[in-house]
Amino acid sequence: MRIIVAGVNHRTAPVEFRERLAFRAEDLPAAYAALREQLGTEEALILSTCNRVEIYAGVPAVDGTFGRLSSFLSARARLEIGELASHWYAFDEPQSIEHLFTVASGLDSMVLGETEILHQVKRAYEFAQQHGSTGKTLNVLFQKALNAAKAVQDRTAIGRGAVSVGTVALELAEKIFGDLRGYRVMLVGAGKIGELVVQRLADRGVADVVIVNRSLDRAQQLAIAYGGRAASLEALDESLLAADIVLMSTASPHALVTRERAGALMSRRRQRPLCIIDLGVPRNVEANVGQLENVYLFNIDDLEGLVNHHHARRREAVTASQAILAEKVEHFLRWRRTTDEPCDPLSSVRAPAP
Amino acid sequence: MWTVHSICSLLGYGAFLVAFVAGVLFLIQDAQLKHKRMGVLFHRLPSLESLDRANFVAIGIGSSLLTVGLVFGLRHSHPLLGTTWAGDAVAILAGLLWVAYLGLWWVRMRATYRGRKIAILSVVGFLFAVGVFLGVVRWLPMWHAHL
Repeated sequence: MRIIVAGVNHRTAPVEFRERLAFRAEDLPAAYAALREQLGTEEALILSTCNRVEIYAGVPAVDGTFGRLSSFLSARARLEIGELASHWYAFDEPQSIEHLFTVASGLDSMVLGETEILHQVKRAYEFAQQHGSTGKTLNVLFQKALNAAKAVQDRTAIGRGAVSVGTVALELAEKIFGDLRGYRVMLVGAGKIGELVVQRLADRGVADVVIVNRSLDRAQQLAIAYGGRAASLEALDESLLAADIVLMSTASPHALVTRERAGALMSRRRQRPLCIIDLGVPRNVEANVGQLENVYLFNIDDLEGLVNHHHARRREAVTASQAILAEKVEHFLRWRRTTDEPCDPLSSVRAPAP
Repeated sequence: MWTVHSICSLLGYGAFLVAFVAGVLFLIQDAQLKHKRMGVLFHRLPSLESLDRANFVAIGIGSSLLTVGLVFGLRHSHPLLGTTWAGDAVAILAGLLWVAYLGLWWVRMRATYRGRKIAILSVVGFLFAVGVFLGVVRWLPMWHAHL
């Protein structure tokens, strides 16, 4: 048996193309039956996420399989055969195996090293296994791939560090407060990034979201959207007193939170820590507010700096990850040689089918 | 000789050690956040709030244990050898240490200081405690004779 993979991902095909190929969970049992009956796959697994649609299969021989797979996918998505050819990739062993290990560990993801793909691979595998679509070979392959992905996550910095302004803000708030449940968030002003950060914080189950806006109507709209409440700009001091995480995102030409105001606030707060994320340009908070004890102030440049820093660290971790994966792939291939029928030594040298 | 005095004092020093470690970690994390740097340790450290809480709880427990330790120490010193605790340098230092930690705990509870200042004080306090403890071991036969 040979392990092959064919599919499209975020690099080879745009979203409007990927969505036509995507499989919904309810489509999968029929798809597995079709693969078995029409294409003669012995084992098969479909991985369908928003960034990729891939079919892993164990087939008796490669010849003609890629053509049949291409027809199958094209017919399903109502594509012309030629249309798929320019977007898809198809690999025979050992590239197919290397590909899966790379995908599972997040090295092939849009956000390098993200871990969501690991869970998606796991779910796809469990689903296929429950539907009797995988056998000994794919079972071992996917278990080894998941295991390799975990090793990469544990032993390298590939998945560490947030990679967007929203997640960096969340990460910083969690570094100060830990579990955010029970803490209070306040958004002053409106703006896309501010809302995005509030959304992320609200997802973590914060106790309270207060939206302060010059226009109370707008504040109320947002408050409804995030399950919080609106407050007026006049009562800013009272709101600041109660909040733990403050997002400033106003278009005010001068700083709303001065050192003097923040200093008075901190003694009234009895030094309860305060995290201020200043998304405003020009800045809404005087820079020296950050020197106050128990005040942690981050402006938009700080957040972007941290995003870049994380990106750089992830790129550095790629080499280490690849070394781990190479070792794990080699380990799996050794297992293949001992259990499968003797491999044709030339087969891996042959060019993969289109 | 394992008496209530020595066990409680030792456990108390152990709690101060926990407060010291939490304090050091707090200072590292605080500095990284203030300078917007995320070093190697950043992703491995607990949150500031949990370090601050650990520090506070450890100081509370340590002070209570030391209180018991000192009370038993005083009770023993009189009848056994006739030396008064006032003449025992180590006991005086331990008394000062006890006052210092109780004060620290009180200040933190009243929230007069919080965070970095408390962390620094708990680090300094522990260095003092190490000094007292070494004193107990080093000059034990000489000055801390009633043990």
